[in-house]
Amino acid sequence: MAEEPLSSKFKWCTLVLVITMTVLLIRLWDLQIMRGSEMRKLSEQNRIRVKKIPAPRGIIFDRTGKVLADTRPSFNIYLTPEDIKDFSQSVDGLARLLNWDREDVIEKMKAASGMPPSFPIKIKSDIPMDEVARVEAHRVYIPGVSIQIEPKRNYPYGASLAHVLGYVSEISDEELKNKKKHKDYSPGDYIGKYGLERSYENELRGVDGEKRVEVDAIGREVRTLDIIDPIPGHSLHLNLDLELQLTADKALETRKGAAVAVNPKTGGVLVLASRPGFDPNKFASGIIKQDWQKIALDKAHPLQNRAIQGGYPPGSTFKVLVAMKALDLGVINERTTFGCGGGFAYGNRVFKCWKKGGHGSVAVHRAIVESCDVFFYNVGLRVGVDRIHELADIVGLGRVTGIDLPNEQKGLIPSTEWKKKRYNQPWYEGETVSVSIGQGAVWLTPVQLAQLSAFVANDGKNFKPQIVNRIVSTEGKVVKTFEPVVNADPKLKKGVVQIVKDGMRGVVNEPGGTAGRSKLQNVAMSGKTGTAQAGSEKVKLGDHAWFIAYAPAEDASIAMAVLVEHGGHGASAAAPVAKDITETLFKVKTVIKEAKSNENR
Amino acid sequence: MRIDKRRFYHLDWYLIINGLLIFGIGLMNLVSATSSFSSGSYNFMIKQLIAFAMGLILILVVMYYDYRIIASQSRWIYLGGLLLVILVLVIGLAAGGAKRWISLFGFSIQPSEFMKPILVVFLANMLYEKKRQNIPLSLKDIGKPLLYTMIPFILIVKQPDLGTGIVIILVCFAMLWFVGLKKSTYAVLFSVGAISPFIAWNYLMKPYQKMRVLSFINIDADPAGFGYHAKQAIIAVGSGRFFGKGFMSGTQHKLQFIPEHHTDFIFTVFSEEWGFVGSIVLFALFISFIHRCLKISMDAHDELGSIIAFGIASIIYVQFTINVMMAIHLAPVVGIPLPFISYGGSSLLSMLASVGLLLNISTRRYMF
Repeated sequence: MAEEPLSSKFKWCTLVLVITMTVLLIRLWDLQIMRGSEMRKLSEQNRIRVKKIPAPRGIIFDRTGKVLADTRPSFNIYLTPEDIKDFSQSVDGLARLLNWDREDVIEKMKAASGMPPSFPIKIKSDIPMDEVARVEAHRVYIPGVSIQIEPKRNYPYGASLAHVLGYVSEISDEELKNKKKHKDYSPGDYIGKYGLERSYENELRGVDGEKRVEVDAIGREVRTLDIIDPIPGHSLHLNLDLELQLTADKALETRKGAAVAVNPKTGGVLVLASRPGFDPNKFASGIIKQDWQKIALDKAHPLQNRAIQGGYPPGSTFKVLVAMKALDLGVINERTTFGCGGGFAYGNRVFKCWKKGGHGSVAVHRAIVESCDVFFYNVGLRVGVDRIHELADIVGLGRVTGIDLPNEQKGLIPSTEWKKKRYNQPWYEGETVSVSIGQGAVWLTPVQLAQLSAFVANDGKNFKPQIVNRIVSTEGKVVKTFEPVVNADPKLKKGVVQIVKDGMRGVVNEPGGTAGRSKLQNVAMSGKTGTAQAGSEKVKLGDHAWFIAYAPAEDASIAMAVLVEHGGHGASAAAPVAKDITETLFKVKTVIKEAKSNENR
Repeated sequence: MRIDKRRFYHLDWYLIINGLLIFGIGLMNLVSATSSFSSGSYNFMIKQLIAFAMGLILILVVMYYDYRIIASQSRWIYLGGLLLVILVLVIGLAAGGAKRWISLFGFSIQPSEFMKPILVVFLANMLYEKKRQNIPLSLKDIGKPLLYTMIPFILIVKQPDLGTGIVIILVCFAMLWFVGLKKSTYAVLFSVGAISPFIAWNYLMKPYQKMRVLSFINIDADPAGFGYHAKQAIIAVGSGRFFGKGFMSGTQHKLQFIPEHHTDFIFTVFSEEWGFVGSIVLFALFISFIHRCLKISMDAHDELGSIIAFGIASIIYVQFTINVMMAIHLAPVVGIPLPFISYGGSSLLSMLASVGLLLNISTRRYMF
């Protein structure tokens, strides 16, 4: 009787053991056999982290091989909240070491409060060496503080080249959303946002490398499994001349304006300066909100590249084009004269010449030298707006020049067709009078007027402006060379351009020339001033000062256009900039002279 | 001292070899599990072996006295154990937020581990007369055993060591069931069992314990804490696949993705390195061991030995099942060591003392 229930208890026990074993095995089968591969993959991901090694961005050199933009290591201070033992010790200690306000440090930490405590917070980027040394020396006393070395784009000439080189910055969410264009990018990557950095992003960027590391549960690197080295980006060798650029920039520094100089024989851009500028270095290390607002809200628009985006009426510089078209058509010849009494009546209104007393009877040469408006009123009317438009379009005015920078503006040269399309109105001949002296609806960019200058300098031919000369890989192999591309070669009648050239030479070098004060000792510079009315009849703003020039007068090696926004007279405001540039280019090497005199002693 | 030679022949070699196999696997596994620690696996292995050697002595001591004599003195042993558990609360060493250890003669011991076999013997001594008379236990009869179980249970849970507490309670109920209960007693126990989770949840459990249960139900409820550990444990086991990653080649534990992987989570280390095949072998060894304990219980000379052996079988069963289920996310995370496998001297000593009791009972099965 006592045996029976006991053995039934053991049967129950055996049943429980069988059920237990079955449940455990089913679960193990599910985990290890059914989901084994998935779990294996998860465990691999657990221990292997892929860390990106950013490729060093390509270097940008000027014409003579000077470095304009490179990548250098920067030291950044991070604070990992998890590792902080005593909050005030670490935070106050760090603040004291860097001469910082502890509130600034706390603010940075608050901004990253959504992140896990193991996430290092960037407290300050790109700290100077002495601060690095100070922090390193006190590391033991400020647990949680670490210094990380990261590549940073560096623009040694700052604002002077900002509008040419542009800047890089972290890729934005909007850019990342454009999967087609930015499929190789991930958050935190740097991307060219402006200028050459943007135009040549694909060449400069290189290919990021990868480091596969084994990490433990708290993300500490245990060992490196393998490394795929990054491929550095290609470097750019520019046609730009740093010395000339800095000269132009300095001359413009305190004003608003732009200067563009090209080699008329190749279209290579020697100078492209625009002021006001900004410091691209600020963008490269993650711009602070306040700095960004200051730049973005600045009424002077420092983010506008006036050289290619600024639209201004060209004023008297435009007469050069009108003269060429008239001579080419035979509407006038070298000896055709018009009388200037200081004004020109057309329709029911009187168009004035800038010189109140008038220039008397002038032919084309004196008309250019002294910039007689009345002469060109007459010529312009005889040529007609459409034929002016025709040549302008050939030269490259009123359309994009194709310079290798993003967001170039087209400018505008009106025509009867344009007016019909735009306003559905017929063209009035009275408007042609204004167009003849580069006013009215005409507006152009400095780079376009540099093209006009190059066209004259090169005897009726010009090239597409190009900033980059060649792309070179890190091994020194030339990946691509940008050969000169002919922009305009209309084969004007023989002697036509020479007449205009003589006139432009006279502007600087003849008595009575409007830019006589910018005459140079070493080299004969030719030019044409322009003083363009800004604003309307009612709201008078300061005139825009223009000067287009090239040098030497015969066989020119530089052609340029200078604009000073609301700068007043072209001769007094813009011409000196061109004079400075030319002087720098053709300066006599005084250093050699001194060396010789030392020898003789 | 006279040792009856016949006893040697009657030693249960099945149990001994089975136990040694489990211990051997455990020792090997411990080497791999502790290889990433800064002190090195050698240190852990030596400590475990010292505990094993002391355990062998303990087996001899336990075997020397007839289990009936031990049982008759069990109230004193029980009081001694209880004293140590109380001592833990007074002068205990804290580790990881819990006071579970006391320092005794230079060793740090965990009295709650020893409380398990002590309680089994104490309860068996209390109940075997009823069993012998084959009288099902009435509600009044289970009052005393429950009271003597609740005292150490409460003290141990206060440390807090919920895992050992759960083992004690479950083992107590298993023993009561084994002795036999009246239908009315079953009814009361079941109804109390039905409402006790609500009481525990609302009045007794600490927030972190609730979090464990919640993250058991939904593994993603607390991805940074317990859920994370549970997930990493599953990944470790699953990534072992059929044949495992090989001895010393597990990555999950070596890179510290799993906490307590040399104690409570040690099964994940084994299963990651030896896979499905190795796990089956280990399970088979445990089931076989437990089954052997039950056989000893069945063949025991008297009811006292039968109940003690059954109690010890249930200790091993409960610990094995909950420990493995926790590692493969079939049970909430709770700190229960895997017998013979997990690192820890007290756990091993307590286990070996239990083996001593089993051998004691099995060798004396023919004696009158």
